[in-house]
Amino acid sequence: MTLTAEPSSPARGLGGDALWTILILAGLGTYAGSLASPYGLRVLTLAGCQALLVLGYQFVFGHAGALSLAQGAFFGLGAYTTAILATRYRWDFALTYPLSILVPLAVAAIVAIPALRLASHYFALATLGLAQVALLVAVNGGDWTGGALGLTGVPGIAVLGEVVRRGLPLAAVVWGVVALGAWASWRFAHGLTGVAYVVLRSDPIAAAAIGLDERRLRFTAFLLSAAYAGAAGALQAHTIGVVSSETLEFSVMVTCLAMTVIGGSTRIAGALIGALLLTFLPEWLRFLQGYALLAYGAALLAMIIVAPEGIAGILGDRFVRRRRAVELPSSEPVPLRGSKSATLEARSLKKSFGGVVALDGVDLVIEPGEILGLIGPNGSGKTTLANVISGLVPPDGGVLRLGSRGLLRLSAERIARAGVSRGFQTPALPPSLSALELVALARASATGKIGFLASLRGSDAGRRRRRFEAEALDLLGKVGLTAEADRSCGALPTRLAWRVEVARALALDPGLIILDEPAAGLGEHEQSELGAVLRDIASRGIAVLVIEHNMPFLLPTANRIVVLDQGRVIAKGRPGEVVRDSAVIASYLGREKIGA
Amino acid sequence: MVTALQLALNGLALGAAYALVALGFVLVLNATGAVNFAQGDLVMAGGYGAAALVALLPVPGLVLLPVVMGAMALLGLVVSALAFFPLMRRPATAVFVSTIAIGLVLQNGALALFGPEPRTAPPAWNSEPLRWGELALSSQALAVVVIAALLVLGQGWLLARTRLGRDLRATAQDREMAAALGIHVNAMIALSFALAAALAGAAGTLLANQFFVTPTAGSALILKAYIAVVIGGWGSLAGAVAGALLVGLFETVVAAAVSYTAASALLYGALLVILLLRPQGLFGEAASRRA
Repeated sequence: MTLTAEPSSPARGLGGDALWTILILAGLGTYAGSLASPYGLRVLTLAGCQALLVLGYQFVFGHAGALSLAQGAFFGLGAYTTAILATRYRWDFALTYPLSILVPLAVAAIVAIPALRLASHYFALATLGLAQVALLVAVNGGDWTGGALGLTGVPGIAVLGEVVRRGLPLAAVVWGVVALGAWASWRFAHGLTGVAYVVLRSDPIAAAAIGLDERRLRFTAFLLSAAYAGAAGALQAHTIGVVSSETLEFSVMVTCLAMTVIGGSTRIAGALIGALLLTFLPEWLRFLQGYALLAYGAALLAMIIVAPEGIAGILGDRFVRRRRAVELPSSEPVPLRGSKSATLEARSLKKSFGGVVALDGVDLVIEPGEILGLIGPNGSGKTTLANVISGLVPPDGGVLRLGSRGLLRLSAERIARAGVSRGFQTPALPPSLSALELVALARASATGKIGFLASLRGSDAGRRRRRFEAEALDLLGKVGLTAEADRSCGALPTRLAWRVEVARALALDPGLIILDEPAAGLGEHEQSELGAVLRDIASRGIAVLVIEHNMPFLLPTANRIVVLDQGRVIAKGRPGEVVRDSAVIASYLGREKIGA
Repeated sequence: MVTALQLALNGLALGAAYALVALGFVLVLNATGAVNFAQGDLVMAGGYGAAALVALLPVPGLVLLPVVMGAMALLGLVVSALAFFPLMRRPATAVFVSTIAIGLVLQNGALALFGPEPRTAPPAWNSEPLRWGELALSSQALAVVVIAALLVLGQGWLLARTRLGRDLRATAQDREMAAALGIHVNAMIALSFALAAALAGAAGTLLANQFFVTPTAGSALILKAYIAVVIGGWGSLAGAVAGALLVGLFETVVAAAVSYTAASALLYGALLVILLLRPQGLFGEAASRRA
């Protein structure tokens, strides 16, 4: 079958981005080749350094959604590395340039250990602390850094012994590096890895649920930003020949932030527009002299309020011929072999929140291929149990195994990859993504095809991406969502959300699926569809754990029912037996009308 | 002995001023879940406000203080209207960026209005040191400690003992619940910004006498206040005050013994170490993952 798709997510919207990027680069080429004065070429070259810096900043700020304030420091580190090695030791460009990238990279890797596990503002201010240390070191570095005056006499770029002349050749080299950086950045953002970052930004728990390692994704983005910044700083050092502590001042960071926000924080064209605009504008508007930062501040504030996706976001796909509709191959059957199916065994699970005991020694066994209903009054510990089994909440004690594999010390994304998938009471679906993209991403994640290197190799784009999408289409067919596969999750009616959640869970080829009140708010038709899908899943040897209040739905669907009350299992057995259990009636069922 | 006492007083005074900055920081953080990065620049603005006012109206700082605080409260309302309310439903980083933008405007606005030369605000009372025999204590440092202590206690009283304070705390704890209880949540948030800016104004007036004020003076302050908040446990008001006093004392003593640079470098280093080992702060446990 064939589907047509409107661009529905940032990743898909990049079609316009590519064209805008090429248009801008072509325009710059024309300008540089025919119109630019030597002075104009110099400004253009500096704008190239900034463009590379901003491209790097997009990884951490735009894609990972983390406000790093160390980008200026990494830029300065790259510049100082080049200046020190080139002026003091007369090292060659072929050596200094890679080192100017590696030094900030190494510093970023060290700082990332404490900093990256921090929530947003902790991270922002910790990175600001790093920037301040770097500035202090540069100012007080004595002969090494040239103190407050800095280092002068940084030579030009030399390739194979030939010094690249200033003017057009230097501009061409710098913009060549920018183009290379843009290409890598494009690979990164264009494939499913870019989609993974959309999920990460929108909901880290949803990312963990498809086996994405939040910390690894953030770490990668942070390191990439540092590498690009170092590359940019080194180029600027060669271009202006001087490196002083000004390179490390907060204004460099703020200018980079302004360029990113004003241009657009996830689009390649945004980085180019932001860098060019904010480098050339002060040159054109001489009357602003000295107050450029004042104008940046006002523009930054206006843009973040009015156009959070920046100028490139406003341009988007506008004025660009609409792309050919996406055609998908016929769906590719996903063999759900239940290869990770095994008996899930929980023994004496305990969890307290402060003084409140949520789980008080829960024993639970779930066999492959069974549908187990978990019921109990509100606050009895049902969702806590699901959170403990899926690794979102660490238990205080007990045993948890899937087959012979212990799950207790594993993170949520590892448990997801080990074979325990789950859906959420409030569906965790990134609104800007389509069901197809999300499930395709989950397939790619299950096979380890998400990450910067994978994206450079193209393992998550083009033909390979289509294969994941074809598989996703098959899974969406299994839950009856083929017709809506291309609608963005945000536009999907709530009553259909469970289908996406189940398809996403299936994408990891799980041994056990946990669903938290999937039938809540569903009409009778949807409920019977849900029941049929769950039975279909179970028939493939995959266990299903359903938390549910809706007894008319659960009783005919479940093979077994476990009743939880005050953190303890008070009854278990076949549905018919459990509803007649006097303890169950007293604690739970007696308070509700049951219609089955 | 005498120098040690003077040093301790200076450190305490600096710490007390930091405490005012840190308190404003925590107030806004609790009310909104977002960091007001312009807090340091608001201090700078307060300092310039005092410096500008005294040129028109040559009175002691103590008299200027309420005027500056009132004007700064208004500025705080403006900041909330521009940088917070339009971005309420966005990720926390959006407010962070918008307050960076506000800081940028304040810094460069000050540069445009006053130029890069340092300015100074009048002393709170007079500049004569207090003498007891050999001992001579800076009366300004003493005044800073006393005024800051009064303001901190006043704020503690406001939050703990008044209906308004109760509403503010309810808003900080759970915005939706507070709204359901009939509290005007947006008014409380705006008030938090106003209070934070007023405290920043007080800190600016007090600091600008001893340390001068330059357009970029706020940048270092925000980091110091942040370190104080991290030490004190994120979101805790008492912890922030304790943290600020520690930072002020540490900075003054190390600066006297070694150098100001060493003091700053050690502080920033300590920040990274604390974040690594005890992200919940040195004192007690506050929400470790807000926003």
